[in-house]
Amino acid sequence: MSVETVGAQAAPTFRKWIDSDKALAAICVIVPLIGLFLFFIYPMIIVFIRSITTADGTYGLANYAEILASKGFWRATQHSLVMGGTTTILSVFLGFIIALGLHRCAFPGKTLIRVAIVLPLIAPSLVQALGLIFILGRNGLISQFSGVEMEIYGFWGLVIANTLYGLPQAVMIISAALVLLDARIYEAADVLGSSPLRQFRDLTLPAVTFALLSASFVVFTITITDFGNAAVIGGDYSVLATEIYSQVIGQRNFNMGAVVGIMLLIPTILSYYIERQAMKRQKTQKATNIHSYVPRFQAIRDVPMGILNFLIAALILSVIGIVIYASFVKLWPYNFDFTLKHYNITLAGGYSSLWMTIWISIGAAVAGTLAVFTLAIGLRHTPEMIAQPVRILAAMPAAVPGMVLGLAYILTFNSTATPLYLLYGTATLIAVINFYHYHTQAYLTVMTGFRQFPSELAEAGSALGAGIGRISTTIIAPFVAPMLVSVFFFLFMRSMVTLSAVVFLTTPQLTVAAVTIMRLDDAGLTSQAAAFSTAVMAVVGLALLGMKGAVSLLAKRNSRKSGS
Amino acid sequence: MYLTVSNATKRYGAFVALDDVSVSLKKGEFVSLLGPSGCGKTTLLRIIAGLTDIDGGDVRIEDVAMSDMPARKRGFGIVFQSYSLFPNMSVAENIAYGLKVRKAPSEQIRARVKELLEIIKLPDIIDKYPGQLSGGQQQRVALARAIAVDPKVLLLDEPLSALDANVRASLRHEIRQLQRELKIPTLMVTHDQEEAMAMSDRIICMNHGVVVQVGTPEELYHKPATRFVADFMGSSNLITTKLIRETLPNLMSTRPEGPDEAFDACIRPEEISLVEDESGVATVTSTSFLGNLNRIDLDGPFGHLLVETHGPCSFKTGQKVSVDVKPEACTWVLNDETEAVT
Repeated sequence: MSVETVGAQAAPTFRKWIDSDKALAAICVIVPLIGLFLFFIYPMIIVFIRSITTADGTYGLANYAEILASKGFWRATQHSLVMGGTTTILSVFLGFIIALGLHRCAFPGKTLIRVAIVLPLIAPSLVQALGLIFILGRNGLISQFSGVEMEIYGFWGLVIANTLYGLPQAVMIISAALVLLDARIYEAADVLGSSPLRQFRDLTLPAVTFALLSASFVVFTITITDFGNAAVIGGDYSVLATEIYSQVIGQRNFNMGAVVGIMLLIPTILSYYIERQAMKRQKTQKATNIHSYVPRFQAIRDVPMGILNFLIAALILSVIGIVIYASFVKLWPYNFDFTLKHYNITLAGGYSSLWMTIWISIGAAVAGTLAVFTLAIGLRHTPEMIAQPVRILAAMPAAVPGMVLGLAYILTFNSTATPLYLLYGTATLIAVINFYHYHTQAYLTVMTGFRQFPSELAEAGSALGAGIGRISTTIIAPFVAPMLVSVFFFLFMRSMVTLSAVVFLTTPQLTVAAVTIMRLDDAGLTSQAAAFSTAVMAVVGLALLGMKGAVSLLAKRNSRKSGS
Repeated sequence: MYLTVSNATKRYGAFVALDDVSVSLKKGEFVSLLGPSGCGKTTLLRIIAGLTDIDGGDVRIEDVAMSDMPARKRGFGIVFQSYSLFPNMSVAENIAYGLKVRKAPSEQIRARVKELLEIIKLPDIIDKYPGQLSGGQQQRVALARAIAVDPKVLLLDEPLSALDANVRASLRHEIRQLQRELKIPTLMVTHDQEEAMAMSDRIICMNHGVVVQVGTPEELYHKPATRFVADFMGSSNLITTKLIRETLPNLMSTRPEGPDEAFDACIRPEEISLVEDESGVATVTSTSFLGNLNRIDLDGPFGHLLVETHGPCSFKTGQKVSVDVKPEACTWVLNDETEAVT
């Protein structure tokens, strides 16, 4: 039996093959690159240009001079730094306790802790603030039942809300370092007679230093750039994120907003850079064949740690749970009878923004997953000289706060100077900004998958006659499927809850869920805001379950194939 | 010649992986590329496969230039050391992959897969996945996948290195037999001289990016051209001209003309005969029993000598012996090593 081999008729006249594969590889890199230039680099250039465009249309640093001379800016900066610093210390400290509890201590009920830690991730950032107001606000549980009047709006409210908001990130980063610690070094220390406290000081702490540092920078960045909590519970305590909003939306002063945006970029870029360096150091410590540490119960350590862990979890659960609970009662906090009336959203548009957000999120997730996968495929076939700068570019968007990216978009796309104006006010543009806002995380996740991919598999496919297209879909895609699933759901869930990037891009005709919640709260319809938040959390929660299901299904399929 | 590589050159920065290498392969021939790691053998194989670009020279099949043809158009088969089966596909899907790419009718594919599974003597694993197979089974499937498309050339990149010793021995035999039956011109990269000798029609011995010697296994073993080949192909005693002249002058008769440093004597351990002799010049320093042979280490005026004998060993450590080598058992090899010989 004979099957005709490909290229058997290859005549010597085909001295130079016009190779369709090379063209395809080039397209795979060029198309995502055009996207990055059009939807990331270009808007960022525009925001910079606008920041140096003075009122009379000339270029200069007058705007900066004006901002730097204004008391409001310095107050907001000082507030952002103090609030960010306080939040970071609290969040990383509590996150360290939870991470140690989960990975280094033995007590029952860890699943509950894990669930509590995930909650802030599935909620729009302003939900923590809403919950705090239901508990500690003027019409909160505490003031109602104890008569103590508390001023939750402002510094402390914001610190507590953002601490809860940053906690999951801190726990994840520190946990990632803890699970890399090999049990055998602890066994060796035990045999050498080292006490548990000494082992913590000599072995655990040094190993997680970079993770603590990295977690601090991440929490600091997401805290000073967060808009949702600041808008709901910040009150008169102005921070840089709300300052941009009031310059742009309140005073329609776009250029001043751009200046504040650029100023906000400085600490975030700095912190992003230091964080990346810290992560690099962390990676070099990584070893293969790790024997994971299985803690045995020690009352002196595990009882207090268990109690602390459950207290922190209870704090998160109650702040977010109260929002869900409040959405079902008649009149918070006076009448706790069950009702569904708050789910009848009276604000214009009702639930249409929720459906719209779901469609936008699906769009961002599908197109985004496809785009990072394509880029990763293209990079496999790109000479290192070009690939290196592309990789740096692809990892850059994480350094830009959502507020700044959103501002850059409105300056870029709400200008009739270019055909890009056609995108303004469309759901497509919101999907686009959501993708580029989270481009770095999506890209890095897919790249982890690609790094594990043995290139011989692709070479074997190549030798058998398959081109890049076929190799990508039949060999590489199945291999990196778990990462693609994660990226898809990550982009979907982030798009569902994000507020900072999209707050400038919504119009009266087109709005998204997180913005609707903010409007409901602004309008004093706090219970409806809670109801809408609950609906969003339900959708995102379902998506999270869907992701867990899909990932475990993939794992099951793989383990069946590996015979274990 | 069926496959010819002429003047192939490949550089990685300042490192020259291949320096003007020319090799060829006849129809139906099994040739091994043998050499230590880093000698350029794998680079050469990858260039032939089209997986690595060539910097200079060219690759031809029956005078058709291949250098600008991407791997997927060459119609070669390749088997890697790491099996490299597609983990998400069953055995049948793996073997069928190349045929599907070529848009063969599904009836034909099914029949071919069955036939190949018979050939590799694993008819019952058709629906299994690579992860469920042993290393030896995976490598057999990888072989079936490579030959499914009737490749013009079969390229084997250390195909047996990852396997257990007993599996390696049996698969060595099977690959060779299969290759003889199907008459596929085959090029195998290996660093194992025993494997190369057992399987090949010809061996291309490489070092530092150049071809050192090409020949049949017998030629390379009995007539090594250089110290490197003599050393790499089994064990040998390499002795300088000066020492031979002083201690075993009868061997000088076969020596080619040239300065003392140009050639060394290569004497295989099994070519040395020992006689118990109180007045002998050599002393036995150690003996070891290796089952089918004995390994005896000697010290004498010619330096250290390694001797292998069959049958019962009567020599003891510390004993004096006399040494005899027949002139035709000594090969003079080119001294291609820079280090001074002791």
